[in-house]
Amino acid sequence: MNSKRIFLWDLPTRLFHWLLGASVVAAVVTGQIGGNLIEWHGKIGILIAGLLVFRLVWGVLGSTYARFAHFFPTPAKIKAYLSGQWRGEGHNPLGALSVFGLIALLLVQVGSGLLANDDIAFTGPLADLVSREVSNRLTGVHHLLSNVLIGLVVLHVAAIAFYAHVKKQNLVKPMVTGWKDDADGESARGGGFLALLVALAIALAAIYGASGAWLPEVPPPAVGEVPTW
Amino acid sequence: MKSKLLLSLLAITMAGAAVAQVKPEDAIKFRQSGYGFMAWNMQRIKMNVEGGNFNKEEVVKAANAIQAIANSGMGALYLPGTDKGTGWEPTRAKANIWTDKEKLGKVAMEFNKEANEMAKVAATGDAAAVGVQLGKLGGTCKGCHDDFKAKK
Repeated sequence: MNSKRIFLWDLPTRLFHWLLGASVVAAVVTGQIGGNLIEWHGKIGILIAGLLVFRLVWGVLGSTYARFAHFFPTPAKIKAYLSGQWRGEGHNPLGALSVFGLIALLLVQVGSGLLANDDIAFTGPLADLVSREVSNRLTGVHHLLSNVLIGLVVLHVAAIAFYAHVKKQNLVKPMVTGWKDDADGESARGGGFLALLVALAIALAAIYGASGAWLPEVPPPAVGEVPTW
Repeated sequence: MKSKLLLSLLAITMAGAAVAQVKPEDAIKFRQSGYGFMAWNMQRIKMNVEGGNFNKEEVVKAANAIQAIANSGMGALYLPGTDKGTGWEPTRAKANIWTDKEKLGKVAMEFNKEANEMAKVAATGDAAAVGVQLGKLGGTCKGCHDDFKAKK
């Protein structure tokens, strides 16, 4: 057994992970309860848009184990993993499937949510970009996929518990501290300050885009234009 | 005495006929119109709560309109078989409206209660309280949509 200690998850990746986890839980809860919390649901959705875009950029500019190219799950890798042949650190091929699945699903949820409406008094910040008909359909998609999302999150947590109890691997600790004991590889490299600035800038642009703040404002009716009846 | 009895019988028959007279297509249209009109009034209240310049008169008008529709007995428009059909657009009323009557009655009464309360709160002109009540009212809309309105 190798007893080397390596730096696995860089700080931006860890912050992204925990912020996303908290945001998704908050989004599900506020979405289910509704009422005035639907306003928060919308705001959290915009934040998740920023987090996802950050992760997409960080998957290219980030450090070794955060890069998509490092853990992209090819059929060959999955086969090797299932037969116990796979060696490596970071996301294993099955875990990578879960990562890409969650990111893809969340992108659809954010996209549909930004264009959705709740048929009560809430509309997604970008809903004006599409017809009501399209908005209604996307709302349906948003509702149906929320169940899939909850399922994937439960599976994700169950997998962590499985690794902890059955395979005796603590996956949570490296995601908190960044360091992994008894590792089988080299410490992560890359993902410096400049890369972080670029990723943050693009993520902020995404938040601005998702917020709909750039949409033309509807001018209020001029005084005297509204009839008294 | 006899004529009084006849008259009341006639009245009962006519009242029965008055409900039955609505054609299914019209019933669906009236339903959709009612909800659409309430949506406008929900938006009016919301704009006044969010905008920073709260106009009590506007909010009272909107809240009273919602209250009136909530108490208009729209349940009568859910004619048997009208889980299918097209009014202004295809209906999204789910078939369990006609089977799960106990639960439906409960969510409908919750909506009535909060709509009445909305009108009361609006009359006080307390912007913060109107905002809170709008959330409660919206929650009762969702209570019905979740179970009885088909997703697109």
